[in-house]
Amino acid sequence: MTGTIIENLSGRKLAVLVTLLLLCQVICFLIGGLVAPMPANTQTILGTVCKDTSVMKNDTSKWFYNRGKGSCQTVDLGETHHDLSERDIVFAFQMPVPREGERFDYSRWQQNLIGVLQLDVRYHSQMEVKPRSTVTIDARLAYRNKGDPDDEWKLYTQSIEKRNLDCDIDVKSEEYLYNCSTIPLFELGSLYHDYYLLNIRLPVNTPDMNVHIGHLQDIWVTVINQNGGFTKVWLSLKTAFFPCIIAILVWFWNRIHMLERKPVLLEKMLLSLGISLCLLNAPIEYLTLQYDLPFMLLLGDIRQGLFYATLFSFWLIFAGEHMLIQDTSSQSSLKQYWRHLSAVAMGCVSLFIFDMCERGIQLRNPFYSIWVTDLGTNLALTFIILAGISTGVYFLFLCYMVWKVFKNISHKRQALPTMCSVRRLHYEGIIYRFKFLMLATLLCAALTVIGFILGQVAEGQWKWDETIELEYTSAFFTGVYGMWNIYIFSLLVLYAPSHKRWPVNENTSDTQNLSEEIEFSPIPERSEISSLTSFIRKATID
Amino acid sequence: MNMFPNYFVIHCLFCSRNLAAPVKTTQSSNTSLETYSTLQKESCHRLDFLVERQKQLCMLSDKMVQVLQTGAQQAVEECQYQFRNSRWNCSTVENSTDIFGGVLKFKSRESAFVHALSAASLAHAVARACSRGELNECSCDARVRKRTPRHWQWGGCSEDIRYGEKFSRDFVDAKEDKESEEGIMNLHNNEAGRRAVRGRMQRVCKCHGMSGSCSVRVCWRRLPPLRAVADALSTRYEGASHVKVVERKKGKNIRKLRPIHPDMKKPNKTDLVYLEESPDYCEPNEELGILGTRSRTCNRTSAGLDGCRLLCCGRGYQTRVRDHEEKCRCRFVWCCRVHCEICRSKRDHHVCN
Repeated sequence: MTGTIIENLSGRKLAVLVTLLLLCQVICFLIGGLVAPMPANTQTILGTVCKDTSVMKNDTSKWFYNRGKGSCQTVDLGETHHDLSERDIVFAFQMPVPREGERFDYSRWQQNLIGVLQLDVRYHSQMEVKPRSTVTIDARLAYRNKGDPDDEWKLYTQSIEKRNLDCDIDVKSEEYLYNCSTIPLFELGSLYHDYYLLNIRLPVNTPDMNVHIGHLQDIWVTVINQNGGFTKVWLSLKTAFFPCIIAILVWFWNRIHMLERKPVLLEKMLLSLGISLCLLNAPIEYLTLQYDLPFMLLLGDIRQGLFYATLFSFWLIFAGEHMLIQDTSSQSSLKQYWRHLSAVAMGCVSLFIFDMCERGIQLRNPFYSIWVTDLGTNLALTFIILAGISTGVYFLFLCYMVWKVFKNISHKRQALPTMCSVRRLHYEGIIYRFKFLMLATLLCAALTVIGFILGQVAEGQWKWDETIELEYTSAFFTGVYGMWNIYIFSLLVLYAPSHKRWPVNENTSDTQNLSEEIEFSPIPERSEISSLTSFIRKATID
Repeated sequence: MNMFPNYFVIHCLFCSRNLAAPVKTTQSSNTSLETYSTLQKESCHRLDFLVERQKQLCMLSDKMVQVLQTGAQQAVEECQYQFRNSRWNCSTVENSTDIFGGVLKFKSRESAFVHALSAASLAHAVARACSRGELNECSCDARVRKRTPRHWQWGGCSEDIRYGEKFSRDFVDAKEDKESEEGIMNLHNNEAGRRAVRGRMQRVCKCHGMSGSCSVRVCWRRLPPLRAVADALSTRYEGASHVKVVERKKGKNIRKLRPIHPDMKKPNKTDLVYLEESPDYCEPNEELGILGTRSRTCNRTSAGLDGCRLLCCGRGYQTRVRDHEEKCRCRFVWCCRVHCEICRSKRDHHVCN
């Protein structure tokens, strides 16, 4: 019978392989830490208050901006203007902001643009603002490309949006500002054009619209985009991993096809895990450099979700396949795991629906947010809570199964001293390597979690005079990304069926075991299954 | 001796030339934009009290004069607000080259506060102008891209307050003589002012990971209102340290500030320091530009600085009954109006003799 490679690999070879993979891991971490910049960049833009003198306010060909030819006439809101009405006021945000005497423009490498609104509401002892109010925003987004004249802004999208405004204040003193919550304003999945312009109006179309927001002094918009350098490093990593995983997948499938039997469930799962990783690795972001693909954010979410779903299912089945002790006859199939897998499916589906409701609709209207209406908030919360419950149930299942496997193994271990020495050594080896892989999984998961927490803690202690040269956040992302790639790579390598006939091993201790082979597998094998599974199944019969 | 240790004089120059008093930030219409910008650059040259380095900085951008003006104007307003209850109420003097008269000739607490506030106010104004995109020269700090000196598109820029601080350091500190005692004190206080801005910034974060989760998070910081900075500095003013300049190492000419009494706490970088006691602000002094506290309104019930006993310097006060008008029941009407009712009442009004 054949085993998997991990069972037949000598300790030294395993050590060499593990060292090599660890080296790759360190390289991934260092690339992120030393080459890549921060994952995202923010620019905080203070709105220029422009005076709109036109009669028709709905004209979307009229744009207000503060730089370049045809810039608007500005107004100081600090003074009272009796000749102005709220309809004449436009807050203009021209992005990106110039620096170092240059006009910057967005590069397509910067991938996406997220806008967050911050209102500066001034405190007046005579009129205090309610802690919760609704603000209505008429937002219009325009774009322009390099080489276009300064005033040739073209409408990208426009929308009238409602947002909730939560304000409180610690120091109740004149001239102080309320601490108002930030308001998510828009999300662009693609940064296709060079310049963007946001015009914001606060309309008063009905008597109670925008009247409870208090004395608005300034509006700030923080625009967040992915850093070009980070995209480059990230895409390079993807481009490097993609062919590697494809190659190892082909090799893996070839090995299975060389066997006389059909692939078992675990092998099928490994294959689908590899494929989903390939989907995640596929560097389709290169297309965004040429085409306008606003669905990239959504697609990225879906690809990640698919990968997580397969990974979680794989762990379940991996544990389950090493526990099926009762029925030795039938080939295990996915159907047996439907109860366990339904938790994964439920979590993924609810997250998918949530994502479609938020980012899916944002494809049509970048200003859309599900969190604004009560119905939307409840809906979103329902899906998120459902996903949370599913994750909880899943982990309970998984822990229970892993615990059962370990109980099983330790139970069978008690039988080991009665076996002959060579067989015992072999069994112990298998158990050791099984545990080794369990350990690897736990280690990867733990490292991810610890890295994440460390990142949050390190970020919390915001310092100005950082002397550390390492860009931790980027290092964490590239490190974790590399780690899971390496993890799956090693799974595919180590769990591929071995070509060595088990007894004919160069290993000195194993070559003597020819005679024991019959004793080792007394049950007629109808299918070649991994010897670890067979060991457990056989042991129960013993 | 250098009579203009800070850049407040700009403000006064604009007063005397009647360009804008108080300074209005309202833009001229865009038709005359080009003539306006040359005018702005010329005006940098005309500001005689600026040292060469300050003129260079002023000419960096068309809007720089305006930003400097805003900074100065806001600092004066804040100073007057903070000292509204003190014997010296940050009063400005017309028709003088120095805006506060000669009050800042003393290396006093007040001088320390004014320096810190002016440095802070300039940093604040420049940072705001950068955020508005008015100043093209705002630097894209190299710190962010130290290892990879590439374009903004590679790694982004630092926060605007960094440039504000840098500019303030460059501009305000350019006047100071690092050798003189006064210079050392002013440099310390300028830095303390800038740190007060930095220290009051608020951190804001946004999650933008998978499905909007916090697996990816980005943070930035909000500029505080200048009033909050001035309040913080005002607290520092009350706890300012009286120091002396000591030669640290003989021959090497390193001079440091040490507390005047060895048992007092050593001032740190955010503390204000002063070298001399304040002059007497009770009596008017034309030469120094001190108006005195005569005819100032005081609060009879207060035991603090604005109380009649302290404010009137023991000269006593007169009480008059006056019709008091006050804005009340205000309602803000977006965008540009505050509707208030006027409430009238009769109140006692105490005035120092």
